[in-house]
Amino acid sequence: MGTDRGGETGIGRLAAPPEGGSSGAAALGANARAALPMRPLRWLFRPDNARLLVLIALGAIFTFASPFFLTTNNLINVLMNAAVVGIVAAPATLLLVARQVDISIGSAVGFAATTLTVVAESRFGLGVAVLAAIGAALGIAAINAVAITKLRVNSLIATLGTLAAFRGAAKLIGDGRSIRLDGFGFLGRSRFAIPGTDVRLPVAVLILLAVALLFSLLMRYTRYGLHMYAMGANPKAARLAGVSLERNVVIAFMLSGLSVALGSFILVSSIGATAPTTGMGLELLAITGVILGGASLSGGRGTMGGTLVAILILAVLDNGLTLMRVTSFWQEVVRGGLLVVAVAFDQLRMRRGKPEVRFEL
Amino acid sequence: MSTSAAPQDPLTVASTAAPLLVVECLSKEFGAVKALQDVSFSVNAGEVVGLVGDNGAGKSTLVTIIAGVQHPTSGHVFLDGKPLDVATPAEARDAGIETVYQELALIEMFDMATNFFLGREILQRGIRHRLGVLNRRAMRRRARDKVSEIPAKFPNFDAAVETMSGGQRQIVALAKAAFWGGRLLLLDEPTAALGVQESAGVLDMINELAGEDRAMIVIAHNLQHVWSVCTRILVLRRGCLVADLDKADTTAEEVVAYITGAR
Repeated sequence: MGTDRGGETGIGRLAAPPEGGSSGAAALGANARAALPMRPLRWLFRPDNARLLVLIALGAIFTFASPFFLTTNNLINVLMNAAVVGIVAAPATLLLVARQVDISIGSAVGFAATTLTVVAESRFGLGVAVLAAIGAALGIAAINAVAITKLRVNSLIATLGTLAAFRGAAKLIGDGRSIRLDGFGFLGRSRFAIPGTDVRLPVAVLILLAVALLFSLLMRYTRYGLHMYAMGANPKAARLAGVSLERNVVIAFMLSGLSVALGSFILVSSIGATAPTTGMGLELLAITGVILGGASLSGGRGTMGGTLVAILILAVLDNGLTLMRVTSFWQEVVRGGLLVVAVAFDQLRMRRGKPEVRFEL
Repeated sequence: MSTSAAPQDPLTVASTAAPLLVVECLSKEFGAVKALQDVSFSVNAGEVVGLVGDNGAGKSTLVTIIAGVQHPTSGHVFLDGKPLDVATPAEARDAGIETVYQELALIEMFDMATNFFLGREILQRGIRHRLGVLNRRAMRRRARDKVSEIPAKFPNFDAAVETMSGGQRQIVALAKAAFWGGRLLLLDEPTAALGVQESAGVLDMINELAGEDRAMIVIAHNLQHVWSVCTRILVLRRGCLVADLDKADTTAEEVVAYITGAR
């Protein structure tokens, strides 16, 4: 599997990624081969396939365990629950690939959402409120970006700061109240009928798919995406090659801000109100998804597709456990355990390499 | 930065009387530490100059200044008579200075072709150009063409650089420099940490790259290696240029004497 480390993403490879266990890699990764002698077994252990299999297996288990799991409505529910997390996890994937992390997401969503409802209930109205919320989300992103690129604060620390600060700020501007917002149901509650079927997909799910597709294209096919992988894999070499680390990080944080704004709209729209806790814990869910999706804390690895599948795994898990009447306390335990297992699995695969955990510019 | 920079044709300017590189009264201080003091020399096209000196003598500092990574405290660098004082690595590169750093500056996870083009990618045309969409096929083809000219053999062109040996990585880095047709190649310790056979391969490659219209500055510790590729030897000691010797007129003993300060 040594050869999969870059090839698994297809990034940094100008060649087409090899087919499962291709013979072209015969000279390489001999050690990894010895560990997994059988070809089908090796295929299963390719991370992307393993993730998909986990998703399918979970689906099968829950179908077996609950008659309600495999119904159109329930599956749409699962997708709907994945929408907001998935949308904010997209830029989180891009950032982690470049060895950066944004853990302010949850508070940023909370602050943007509260800005939306507070301004909307004032005399300025909904239109101004939407603009203000976008501005708020981009403003937080800009603060993060400046702290990281100009003040040289490590991204984990900088965004930990904004995580705390903007949770407080959200409570300040909302006076710690819950605020209703009517007439904003389109993004969160309307559905789109798929022609020829009686399936009606929520608009939010379509937005998730569009965002995921956009980030996937950005990361796979553009110079910007390639540079983000290069920065994560070897920041010094990337800089010497003429890659502008600062500029790329600023762009990524701005994309994170836009996704936060979009996520907060969907959240407010589906719930119809904000509370002081809106968006709380979203950063953990999103980053769990990103890491479960194959991105490495040491940078240079990870794909949008992997993140999407991982987010679906988390959503299915929540939904299935709820159907099985497992309390939400256990769901949190399972989710946390899954994260540790995923990272342990990743380290096991990488043992040949040097798993350094660093966030730096 | 230009986006779809095609590799420049090797410039076919005949070597003229004017030197390609002129370094004039270059000094670099890091606080109280004087890394370089008043260093002046020039290099003509076609020359392969060995830069030797003990650890901390200022060799790497000198090379990184010429490469535009660091800026001198005082003094100037001229390429073709034009000053390079405000150069960034990208500007120095565009001017025709290619550098192979000691730490190689390769992205280990990427394959050869991607490493060749990092920072100078070929993009698609039209609207996709503006969106920054990579033209992987073109980059791959050009890199493959170049690699096929290199005598060194690579078992797998598509393999990630991290799967290659130290010597192969060094050759990839040299091939990248050659690929861009730099007029001045700066090689920082190209044979450091390499075995005998791998060193030989790298030195062959350096000799291969030496040409009439190209100059090279090679930092090396191993005088035997210096002797096998260089035509001239500069000795730095504690930031000062203490000797500028023609290989034909000197001996290893004399060079060592300059390095250690016995002379």
